[in-house]
Amino acid sequence: SPTGDSWGIFTFLCAALCNLPALPALNCSEELGAGQSIQQTYDLTRYLEHQLRTLAGTYLNYLGPPFNEPDFNPPRLARAERVPSATVDLDLWRGLTDNARLAANYRAYSRLLCYLRVLDSQVGTAELRHRLAHFCASLQGLVLSIGGVMSSLGYPLPAGPAGPPAPPGAPTAPNDFLKKMDDFWLLKELQTWLWRSAKDFNRLKKKVPPAVVTLRLEAREF
Amino acid sequence: MFSEWNWVAYGFYLLLNICSLEASGGLVQSCGHIIPESPVLALGSNFTALCILNESCLDFGNIYANQIIWKIKNKVVPKEQYREINRTVSSVTFNDTSSLATPLTCNILADGQIEQNIYGITVTVGLPPEKPKNLSCIVHQVSKLIYRMVCTWNPGRHTFLDTQFRLKYRWPQENFPDCIPKDVNNSCTIPDVHFFVNLEIWVEAANALGKAESDPLVLDPIDIVKPLPPHNLSVSSVLPTVLKLSWVNLITNPVMKLKFNIRYKIIGDTNWMEVPSEDTASPRTSFSVQGLQPYTEYAFSIRCMKEDGVGYWSDWSENKTGITTEDKPSKGPSVWRIIDASHSPDSWTLHLMWKALKPSEANGVILQYELTVRDKSTLSSPVEKYNVTSNNLTLQLPNGTYEVTVVARNRIGASPPSVLLIPASNSKAPVTNLKALPKYDKLWVGWTAPNSYVLKYVIEWCLVSSRSDCIIEWQIALGDVQGMDLKGIKPFKCYLITVYPLYADGQGSGQSVKAYLKQDRPSKGPTVQTKKVGKAEAVLTWNHLTVDEQNGFIRNYTILYKTIDGNETVVTVDPSKTEYTLSSLTSDTLYTVRMMASTDNGSRSGPDFTFTTQKFGKGEIEAIVVPVCLAFLLTVLLGVLFCFNKRDLIKKHIWPIVPDPSKSNIAQWSPQVSAKHNISSKDQMYPEGSFTDVSVVEIEADDKKTFSEQDLKPFDLLKKEKSTSEGHSSGIGGSSCMSSPRQSVSDSDEGETQNTSSTVQYSTVVLNGYRDQTPVQVFSRSESTQPLLDSEERSEDHTGGGDSTPQRQQYFRQNGGQDETSADRPCFERTKQITHANEGDLVGFVQLQISGQSSQPLGFGMEKSTQEAGLSNVFQTSTEGQTVRPETVEENPLSVHEMPKSYLPQTVRQGGYMPQ
Repeated sequence: SPTGDSWGIFTFLCAALCNLPALPALNCSEELGAGQSIQQTYDLTRYLEHQLRTLAGTYLNYLGPPFNEPDFNPPRLARAERVPSATVDLDLWRGLTDNARLAANYRAYSRLLCYLRVLDSQVGTAELRHRLAHFCASLQGLVLSIGGVMSSLGYPLPAGPAGPPAPPGAPTAPNDFLKKMDDFWLLKELQTWLWRSAKDFNRLKKKVPPAVVTLRLEAREF
Repeated sequence: MFSEWNWVAYGFYLLLNICSLEASGGLVQSCGHIIPESPVLALGSNFTALCILNESCLDFGNIYANQIIWKIKNKVVPKEQYREINRTVSSVTFNDTSSLATPLTCNILADGQIEQNIYGITVTVGLPPEKPKNLSCIVHQVSKLIYRMVCTWNPGRHTFLDTQFRLKYRWPQENFPDCIPKDVNNSCTIPDVHFFVNLEIWVEAANALGKAESDPLVLDPIDIVKPLPPHNLSVSSVLPTVLKLSWVNLITNPVMKLKFNIRYKIIGDTNWMEVPSEDTASPRTSFSVQGLQPYTEYAFSIRCMKEDGVGYWSDWSENKTGITTEDKPSKGPSVWRIIDASHSPDSWTLHLMWKALKPSEANGVILQYELTVRDKSTLSSPVEKYNVTSNNLTLQLPNGTYEVTVVARNRIGASPPSVLLIPASNSKAPVTNLKALPKYDKLWVGWTAPNSYVLKYVIEWCLVSSRSDCIIEWQIALGDVQGMDLKGIKPFKCYLITVYPLYADGQGSGQSVKAYLKQDRPSKGPTVQTKKVGKAEAVLTWNHLTVDEQNGFIRNYTILYKTIDGNETVVTVDPSKTEYTLSSLTSDTLYTVRMMASTDNGSRSGPDFTFTTQKFGKGEIEAIVVPVCLAFLLTVLLGVLFCFNKRDLIKKHIWPIVPDPSKSNIAQWSPQVSAKHNISSKDQMYPEGSFTDVSVVEIEADDKKTFSEQDLKPFDLLKKEKSTSEGHSSGIGGSSCMSSPRQSVSDSDEGETQNTSSTVQYSTVVLNGYRDQTPVQVFSRSESTQPLLDSEERSEDHTGGGDSTPQRQQYFRQNGGQDETSADRPCFERTKQITHANEGDLVGFVQLQISGQSSQPLGFGMEKSTQEAGLSNVFQTSTEGQTVRPETVEENPLSVHEMPKSYLPQTVRQGGYMPQ
């Protein structure tokens, strides 16, 4: 009935108004807005993607030819399979649930981060090491952000190799070229993952109603 | 006695103690200690300390807790704060730690006399840290990829203690190393910032008394970024009114989307204009600014911030300048003319002048001005065209009505034409009520518009100066205004302002007014002079001050004048005058006058001028002199008349009748008569100064034979004496003759007379009267009734009558005796004569000398008596003469005075011969 609708709107507005003063104080809580954290994670993914583009260029130059050649496209070696691959069929990926995709992202970045840290510790130049460290820290942030998004959406964090213990068993490359090949693939996979994650979060962003975000903005202006 | 022993024992104990300490490895073991050891106390709290004595000390020194004295520095703590807990422990309590100081010592009063320190502690008093407040952070972009986060907070009150601040930050599951401020306690810089993950930031302050944490700040660092401004700003011109800006952003899109602010100004201006912010609210690297003025240089700068407005604006970028392209001039130049018709009445020298366009109107570089001049009085006359680059044009034209158009041209095109109609005469209505007054440091000209529609007004003005010509400046005002401010007006200068109304079909005549922007007192005063000075008035003149000296409108002149010691008199004079007459001045007085010229803003005096008024007024001297002269003339005239009328009387007075001694036979009556002769001779002496000659009357021997030679001798002597007294002859000796040849002339005459006659000399008559007068009186004298002389006179009359001619000849010859030619001979003759005389007449001479002493006064008396009563008795006269002696005294000096003229009288008077 129309009366019931108007009452509903009214109570909603009242509730919203009552909550307004409390909102700024709560803005630290992850529950505040899944939308906001999705947006932030999306921005972060884009930011990392952008960072990686310059970083990878620098690092491949550091590796030297042929890795820094634009059309260098080596076959993926079997030993590189340890690095989580994003080369899954796109339709298949889309067919997964949000939770599954988020969990896959979470796991993948956790693993990638471990390899990346190893890579960081081996780099010779201080400047590159610094940039890698910065990227690592940001990637760590991404892992945390995805975890935050999952928790804000009510999904459980995937168990397993979330932390650092994953890579210890990683066998060292038999020679320098193969090691460089590992690094090359690491960066390449990272790029693919980031590219796909950005799409994921963009899609997820659209799914989550932006009301909370709007409300939050209003509250900030208060 | 006991205490003494006690002290010795105590000292011994201490010595032992030290020895034992040395033995036990250098550790000093004191008699007690304080609990707590070196406490840090909160200011204002209470505090209790315990001093615990060692058991070992008790045995040796009889030291107990009740003997403990607490001290702060050197000040004993009051006993009320002590408490003896047991035999070896004493406590002290402070209610407020602010009274505490370092060190706090525990002392013992051994034997009630000597104070011994047992132990001391350091007390530190301070405050626990406050909760840091106002934590805020900002992320500064340092370079394209480096961002630093600076957080600041308010550290709170001073704690008096070493307080550590730490900036802590973390991600939900990840901690970062603390940021520890360097050298400051209120800010810290985090060098590496990670965007898009919420960061929790807080500050922890800690010291010995506690720890405090600020409220946490949770934020995504991307929301607090202050980016670097865009760089490599460049400006390119597109159209006359459009400039395109390009720049490079230092933040790439994935990090942050930017919005921009663009500001710009015309070079030289101070105020910035801003491009509407909504036009630049999206990410971009270029923008076209529109609505600019052609051919104008602009400066631009740009800043940016996060597109959603969260965060901070960057600083403004460096200015970049650009010039818009040229456009054709937007309006024609203002044009005006000066007509000089002074050369001939039928032709004009027409000075056309126009103002350069303002940059905003010129829209470019004006290359030339194109003028057309058309004679409107004749329809068929051709249009004259001129291309000029300067701002004026001078033409020689027959007078008439002309239409002038001026067009300014630049590289792009020409301006709309400006039209000036120059009628043959300014016959239209002028403006009225023209006035010029200073307004807010500008000279404002106002007028009342004429009734008919005015297109525009031309305001001409020029600086009036005696040193230079009036250089005309002008300005055009629109027809709807009735006043305007003049630019470039100097203070203290006179300006002549003229306003002409321009109508569609002609011009109104100009109305002029003089004005000052600011007036001052004149730079000098007028120099005043007198034109004419009278007895009581003076005419002052002066010149007007020149325009340059006036410094304002001269409102009046003031004349100030005064005498040296008098008050100053002030007269105010109309400024148009150059002359003024001061009246009511005092005569023969020195006046100082000066003159003052006054404007509205003060006055200044000229130099002082002094003048003296005259003693006499105009005509006064004449009024005095003319009557005086007239009176004098009259007096003289009257005197002359009087003299003329009374001439007989005067004559009688001046030439008295003298009895003629030659007709007297007084010699016979000697010696008495000699006196009389003396008298007469003296009588003749009276006009001594006038008489220069002695005349000798020659008497025929026949006539004089009746007189004995003897009788005559004294007379002769008398005559000689007389002549000496006259100073013309010396009757004595040749010496006198030698000394004075001239005198000898007269003497020689005498001598001659004597010699030629060879008879007894009868008489010598001395002439009186003026030299040319015939001795008439001699004869009148002969008419004397004196019986004694009667016969003589009669006989003389006869002889005189009969023999008058030779006598007279002689007389005249003598008179001309000045002639020296005949001088010598008589001198010798005379010497002879004198020798004769000397022989027998010496006695008589002496006699005469004696009588001569008194003869002069007598003689004078005689003269008098003859004047008054005619001839009288000789004796009578002599007696009378004696009575009037005072008068002779007067007379005598005169003769004496005259004496230097002669030689002899001196010798005679001095009696040079008397001793002989």
